[in-house]
Amino acid sequence: MTTAVSRKASHSMALVALFAALMAVMGLIPKIDLPLGVPITLQSLGVMLAGCLLGARLGFQAIALFLLAVAAGLPLLAGGRGGLGVFMAPSAGYLLGYALAAGVTGALMRLLPQGQPLRTAISAFIASALGGLVFLHAMGIAGLVLLAKMPLEKAFFADLVFVPGDLVKCLLCAVVVHTVAKAMPHWPFGGRER
Amino acid sequence: MGSLYSEHLTWLHRWPAGAKLACMALLGTLLFLFNELWLLAAAGLACALLWCSLGPATHKVRRLIRSVLVAAALVAGFHLWLGRPDVAAVSALRLACASTLGVALTVTTRPTDLLLVLDALLAPLARLGLRPERLSLQLALMLRFTEHFFVQWQKLDEAHRLRTGRPGGLRLIAPLTVQMLQAAQRVADALYARLGG
Repeated sequence: MTTAVSRKASHSMALVALFAALMAVMGLIPKIDLPLGVPITLQSLGVMLAGCLLGARLGFQAIALFLLAVAAGLPLLAGGRGGLGVFMAPSAGYLLGYALAAGVTGALMRLLPQGQPLRTAISAFIASALGGLVFLHAMGIAGLVLLAKMPLEKAFFADLVFVPGDLVKCLLCAVVVHTVAKAMPHWPFGGRER
Repeated sequence: MGSLYSEHLTWLHRWPAGAKLACMALLGTLLFLFNELWLLAAAGLACALLWCSLGPATHKVRRLIRSVLVAAALVAGFHLWLGRPDVAAVSALRLACASTLGVALTVTTRPTDLLLVLDALLAPLARLGLRPERLSLQLALMLRFTEHFFVQWQKLDEAHRLRTGRPGGLRLIAPLTVQMLQAAQRVADALYARLGG
């Protein structure tokens, strides 16, 4: 390393690496396999958290870093999957959607009202439901249609199976944000300037 | 942390990582460009031969490829059920081939070699203001954090078991996140202390 690092840059580097690692840890938790080759994992919770806590830019970077490590062959996806092959599987739309969904969630979180922990948590729920659920699932359906050549309405109904589980994850995300808002009141949710 | 790289040396190990990555990207794209059944059947045969030629190196990833084949079979079954046997064969073959290629690359290439190739590929991004060397540092940090996360999770879980006699489960996510955010702030300060100026 020859280049000097500003305080802000070192901060964002540590946070990006941290949330990439959070994704990896959530992948170590066993997954439940559904037919169609799309597994239920905790990793979409990681996406929502990265968006809510880091904001659009850093959240996107964190998930992109994680996907880069996966592409390089580290078995970090749920169930120990990794390598370039997973980006061509039927669920690839969800994978690529992860990074963008973190960005969308972060951007929404920045716009939504914050203040009291409860209000922040409600905003986090809305942001993760729109970014981490609606947007991510749209990307996933697009992936199923394009990669597995599934008709649109079939892909849509196949995808609906995951919605209840992901709603629970949105709630979990809101609970985590609530705790963080109480424990670290000055945390810049959604990447707001302090 | 185990990688999927196999120490059983094969002919594919001797290829440079960059060449393998380029081949893989090219073949992967071609697979999605063609819809002719005979072409994809030929590709499937070639992939099966490739797989067999790797011999014991594929030992570790047998489960992985089995799950891919099951997924391919499910996709095929789905299309058969819709009465489209041609689409079924094509999409199942395409999936199986693409995954086999990816797995072959992963098994025969060290992650560090792939990262070096990525470094070289990302180098032009330096002009756009991105720093490739920072990316490497971040990847290293991420792997370190992953381990730390796991240790921390186990500590919290043990503490929860001691207090309540039950495993902590999802209840631990919130305290874990707070602890890790604080750890990240300490790491950021340490990075600044060493590299800042």
